[in-house]
Amino acid sequence: MQRQIGETVSETIRNVNVAGRAFELRASQVERLMRRVLPEPLKDHFVVVGRRRYPPKQVLGEVTGLDRAEFTTHHARRILTGLGFVAGRRSAEPTGRGFAAPPPGRRDSAASRPSAETLEPFVGQWVATKGPEVLVAAPEPKTVVGWLSEHGLKADSMFRVPADELEASGLAPR
Amino acid sequence: MRHAFQPLPGQVGRARPVVDLVVEGLDVAPQACLIDTGATEIRLGRHVAEIVGLDLDKAVVDETVVGGLRTTASGVTAELSLRQGRSSHTWSPTVYFCDPWPWAFGLLGLSGLDPFLLTINAYDEWSELRPRHG
Repeated sequence: MQRQIGETVSETIRNVNVAGRAFELRASQVERLMRRVLPEPLKDHFVVVGRRRYPPKQVLGEVTGLDRAEFTTHHARRILTGLGFVAGRRSAEPTGRGFAAPPPGRRDSAASRPSAETLEPFVGQWVATKGPEVLVAAPEPKTVVGWLSEHGLKADSMFRVPADELEASGLAPR
Repeated sequence: MRHAFQPLPGQVGRARPVVDLVVEGLDVAPQACLIDTGATEIRLGRHVAEIVGLDLDKAVVDETVVGGLRTTASGVTAELSLRQGRSSHTWSPTVYFCDPWPWAFGLLGLSGLDPFLLTINAYDEWSELRPRHG
C-alpha cells in the first residue's frame, strides 16, 4: 500500500502477519526506531536501514517487539524489502539504491581498509573496521569499543571518519 | 613485520604507510597511525586515553602546533603493540594525547620508531618495522 502524505511525501505501509499477530509497519517508523539502535554483527543476510546494515531479524524484532525465535530471517527480509528497504548478502553486493562499487585500488592494499565511498555514510562518526567492511559506527568512540567488547569482535582499526580534507590528510600534505 | 601501505581513513588517492597500533592492550580497536618520519613524537587523540582509562593528571602537558592547529598535548608512558598475524612487538614509549585532535589518524613519529629498523618501499607500497634486538 502506498499512502500519500501531504502532496509531496509518500510512504510505504505494509500490513503484515508475524507469528500470528498483525502489524501495520511504516518505512519511516522503522527508520526512526533503528536510528537509536546499533547494528549487531552481520552473519549472512542484511537489510539497509538509514544507510546502515542490520541483520533482518534484529530490525523486525525491534519494530514488532517479538522474540526473534518467532520468525525466520527470510520472513523478516521479505517484510522489510516489501517496505522498500534494500536487502543483500555479505558474500555478494546488494542490489538497489545507495550502493556503489568501491574504486579499484592502486594495489591490493586498498582492500584492507574500507574505501572512501564505503565510509561516506559515516562521516563524522567513529567506526571500527575489519578488512573492507565497517563493523560498527557510532557518534562516540566509547560506544564503538563497548559494542566490540559486547559482541566479542576485534576490529582491524578504529578511527573517526573525516569530514573534510583537513581531517582526512591534515598534516600529511600531498 | 611488513605492512602494505593503506589509504588514510576516508581518503582516496595514493596509499601511505599506515599501521594500526594497539594502545594499552585495547586489541578490539587498534588505532590507525601514519608512520611520520618527519615528526618527533607519537601523537594520538585524547579520546584514546579516555577509552583505555589512562590517567593524564600527572602527564607532561605541552602546547604545540600540529598541522597548523594549536593543541594541548599530554605526555604519559603508554604501552603500544604492533601486531601482524602471530608476530607482535610491545613497547612503552611516551605518547602524547592531544586535544583537540580533529584528524582521523594518529602519528607514529620518530620516538615511536626507536625500537625498530624501519624500511619504506614506496614503489611497492609497503613498510617494514623490524624490532631491534638487544
